[in-house]
Amino acid sequence: MLTTPSFEYLLLSPMLIILAAAVIGVLAEAFLDRNHLPVIQLFISVGAILLALIQIYRIKSSSSTSAAIGSVVIDKATIYLQGTILIIGLLALLLISDQEQFVAQASAIPGSREEQESTSKGSIQTEIYPLLSFALAGMMLFTCASDLITLFVALEVFSLPLYLLAGLSRRRRLLSQEAALKYFLLGAYSSAFFLFGAAFLYGISGSVYLVDISSAVSGGYGNDVFVLIGLIFISVGLLFKISAVPFHAWTPDVYQGAPTSVTAFMAAATKVAAFGAILRIFYVVFSPIANQWRPIISVIAIITMVFGSAVAIAQRDVKRMLAYSSIAHAGFILTAVLALNKSGLSAALFYLTTYGLSTLAAFGIITLIRDATGEVTDLNKWAGLGKKSPLIAGSFAFLLLSFAGIPLTSGFIGKFAIFSAAYETGNIAVVVFGVLSSALAAFFYIRVILLMFVAQSQNDSISIAIPSVKSRIAIGATTAATVILGLFPSLLLNITQSFSIFIK
Amino acid sequence: MINSKGMVAQLLGQDPGWVIALKGLLIFIFCVVLTIMAVWGERRIVARMQMRLGPNRVGIFGIIQGLADGVKLALKEDLIPKTADKIVFIIAPIISATTCFMAFAVIPLTGEVSFFGHKTVMQLTDLPVGVLYVLAIASVGVYGIVLAGWSSGSTYPLLGGLRSSAQVISYEVAMALSLVAVFIYAGSMSTSDIVVAQDRWWYAVILFPSFAIYCISMVGETNRAPFDLAEAEGELVGGFHTEYSSLKFALFFLAEYINILAVSSLATTLFLGGYRAFPGLGFTETWLGGWFTLFWFFAKVLIFFFVFVWLRGTLPRLRYDQFMQFGWKTLIPVSLAWILIVSTLRVMSDQGAPQYLIFGFAFAVVLIYLVISNYSDNAKAKLATDYKNFTPENPEFPIPISNRTEQVIQIRDEAKK
Amino acid sequence: MIRTALEVGMTKSPEAILFWVLAPLSVLAAIGMLLVKKAVHSALLLAWVMISLAIFYIAQEALFLGIVQIVVYTGAVMMLFLFILMLVGVDSADSLLENIKYLRPIAVTAAIGIGGLLVSLIGRATISHNAYGLSIANQNGNVQGLAQLLFTKYVWAFEVISALLITAALGAMVLAHSNKVRSKFSQRDLSAARFRGKKLAEAAGLPGPGVYALHNAVDVPARLPDGSAAATSISRVLEARGDVLESKQFELQQSEDESSDK
Repeated sequence: MLTTPSFEYLLLSPMLIILAAAVIGVLAEAFLDRNHLPVIQLFISVGAILLALIQIYRIKSSSSTSAAIGSVVIDKATIYLQGTILIIGLLALLLISDQEQFVAQASAIPGSREEQESTSKGSIQTEIYPLLSFALAGMMLFTCASDLITLFVALEVFSLPLYLLAGLSRRRRLLSQEAALKYFLLGAYSSAFFLFGAAFLYGISGSVYLVDISSAVSGGYGNDVFVLIGLIFISVGLLFKISAVPFHAWTPDVYQGAPTSVTAFMAAATKVAAFGAILRIFYVVFSPIANQWRPIISVIAIITMVFGSAVAIAQRDVKRMLAYSSIAHAGFILTAVLALNKSGLSAALFYLTTYGLSTLAAFGIITLIRDATGEVTDLNKWAGLGKKSPLIAGSFAFLLLSFAGIPLTSGFIGKFAIFSAAYETGNIAVVVFGVLSSALAAFFYIRVILLMFVAQSQNDSISIAIPSVKSRIAIGATTAATVILGLFPSLLLNITQSFSIFIK
Repeated sequence: MINSKGMVAQLLGQDPGWVIALKGLLIFIFCVVLTIMAVWGERRIVARMQMRLGPNRVGIFGIIQGLADGVKLALKEDLIPKTADKIVFIIAPIISATTCFMAFAVIPLTGEVSFFGHKTVMQLTDLPVGVLYVLAIASVGVYGIVLAGWSSGSTYPLLGGLRSSAQVISYEVAMALSLVAVFIYAGSMSTSDIVVAQDRWWYAVILFPSFAIYCISMVGETNRAPFDLAEAEGELVGGFHTEYSSLKFALFFLAEYINILAVSSLATTLFLGGYRAFPGLGFTETWLGGWFTLFWFFAKVLIFFFVFVWLRGTLPRLRYDQFMQFGWKTLIPVSLAWILIVSTLRVMSDQGAPQYLIFGFAFAVVLIYLVISNYSDNAKAKLATDYKNFTPENPEFPIPISNRTEQVIQIRDEAKK
Repeated sequence: MIRTALEVGMTKSPEAILFWVLAPLSVLAAIGMLLVKKAVHSALLLAWVMISLAIFYIAQEALFLGIVQIVVYTGAVMMLFLFILMLVGVDSADSLLENIKYLRPIAVTAAIGIGGLLVSLIGRATISHNAYGLSIANQNGNVQGLAQLLFTKYVWAFEVISALLITAALGAMVLAHSNKVRSKFSQRDLSAARFRGKKLAEAAGLPGPGVYALHNAVDVPARLPDGSAAATSISRVLEARGDVLESKQFELQQSEDESSDK
């Protein structure tokens, strides 16, 4: 007879709450009155995230490797990452609930009469809420998965809703649909790489659990060739998600095509989740053979930083520019993976949080700059924005400075922490390239700032939308966090230091 | 006597090669002969239902009419349309005809018998996943129809092929779900074990909803009236086989009848106790050294076949959208709910729950069912009264009215402009 | 077939025969899948590759996996593929236009390179290593063994997959299902509207194409009692496509009829 498997439900509860909210959302979609759905769905999603945050707080000091029969490890770092994902999710949800950016009816052909009718009737695609909840749950699981199967399932659980959400933009729908398809096809391709690598790792260790793979790798048992193939292919799958060069091709198109609030969520939360998994895999599983993979990851980190910064200069579109900047940032955080020590992990956690919040704020501001056809993302049209709305332009400029890593912003503290951690373990070349490409990146950030404040505006067609209360809260809170963490970094640094623990 | 699970597999394991080959040949011949007889039988039965006589000239009672028709069919001119995709056009009927025979490999036709002095059962092979194997073969078999429709290079066959693929995918889901309850109760997916598990009660009795769902979906799966939308002669000429003639058409013809026999045999095996005798006639199972069980098996299969013909004789064809709606919105949800109920009951009895709890659960299920059916009845009644409240403007004849009528008129007028 | 596959799988040399017969066939089919022009042929070759994979699984004692491979991939996934391809059209072939220059040689070189690399690596790693069969895993039966793993060791991943399936279903609904702003009218509504229209003549159905005309094809308009063509008898789709024949030529020609009468 089988023994019934046992779960530690308290430790799993944050994920279970979000999953339950998603399922309830789907049921609400099926059975409740369409007119009340937006409010109900928002209530369900926000409520679930708040509940999950409370649960995270309650389990903040517990840890376990057997929460779900070895499939999930709950440790300090996991709890921190899950909390970060939830907070980013909550703020992104506030941006997303401004339905303006989403198509009224996704199934209507762009430009068709049906589309016009449903838009004028004010229909709303409220399925975005359950989809967002599924994505959140998948991301939370991705940070704590401790076997390759769960890791893969979690990867798919959070990717699939994102593929869908990327295609639901209200304006420029063909571009948005193309972006979604590109993201889907390339994502599926990278998942295949991940699976291929997982198969090899299973082959050498005879187990899918990270613990067993780790001991097989360090014990020298098995076959080095298989370890290397497995490692490389798994990394391809994961590096795709953080858009490291050369697996970045989807990023600019998807960031540009997706509804801006979804882009904000994707840019912030996906990075946290994917880096959570990457850090766990490299710190827990592959640290014994660091000599073998360090050169590869170093090279990837360097070209990612340099390429992202260099190509961003040529961009004429704000969203594409931020996309390339996010590629560059992926390179910076990869540097922390190379560090392989506690201060590196702590720096990565800090960087992920601050970068996530600033990105959310930056994309939130982009949603406000509009003209008659919708959002304006063409940089040329941003000229003279500083005179129209000093507050909005000023905040955006501040966020860009934070991305560039100018002192007194959270971005500076993050970069400093990461580079010093990498320097400790002797990755000097990477650090040098990191600093150089930060300088390069500062160039194009400052160019945008000059454009906004110094250049003369050529036309007056753009206007600044008055944000709703929800957007105001989201943008305000994230910008404030960037300021506060720049001035008082120890508030968060202490926390990340005490939470930077992975257990096997 | 076979009375424990796994015994058949053991018996079959001892079969020498010649026994296997001979059994295969016998099953093949039997299927072909039965098909020819089935064609004659169907025409006779339908004729009776339509107050005609049916074929009665060739042979006694017209019994070799089927053979004569077969010869005539084979001697017709074999046409391949100019626009057809030749290779696929030829492969399609072959796929159809070969796969339908393969399903019979796992059907137990008799109990233990002596086969030319060798102790065995009339079953070609016994797989632990035998029933799934039948489903797999059925799903490959559809390729024949779909490809035939595609490769003919004309519109009606294409539509027939499309309908068929959609139809089979939809109804296979319902079919597979209806079998889950059987697996749960039998504790096995092997056909012979399921027959053994029915020694006290047929599953048609204790799992009646499953049986009903299977019976409906097997008609859909075989493209037979009233679900023969893939070859609806009123709409699509002949559907997927419009462009086929001669032997290739004969192969489709053969495949259709063998498929009917195959799904009927599966239904017999899973729900009606397979080769076992009717209740109270258990003593007959040992007659003729066990070979009499073959009679019981075919009696049950022929009952199913009669029902197939009966359906064709009485029911009109469904409209396509209604047919799909029935499959997805009625059959599949009902099967899912039924599986939930069955597995709950099974777990309850496995873990020794007290009787009152089991009855309480069953009672609650019935209660919920009544509430739901009452609700849907009310909705239907409301719809009917809506249509009755009309205000006739042209007094010569009654005109149903609803606000939708106005909409239709408005749209039509717009379109005219 | 399955039985032979099973038996063959048990012993060493017949399994080798099975392998050397099926493996080249499936590799050929896989290569052919890339090279043939018609998408349906590609799909068929892919279906064949899947079936041969299933037979390999069965030969290696993974009976359940083999059967499920056929049911799911060949039966459902490929069938949906075919369904789409058929909707695309009978004659459509893939566009072989290359947007990026020299993409094809680069892709072929890269594919051969990575393939060769993997083959050599795997070869180096597997030759002179023993392979373990499934005999231990299949001790209590193949299906039972699988079920035991799914519902104990991997139950968490197994359950989480349900989230994936719900997402997929929800996504399909979002992208394909439309809440009609104007709901679709049933036959009943249309019939009611006909009777309440302005002209009673419209209450009867429209004339079918080709009625009383010289030809009974769908693109030939029916003729009204006075011999003129009934424009309403032709499907609007055909009209929009411009596939309708000029109705004049099918109208009664007075002189001809009269002359034949005499």
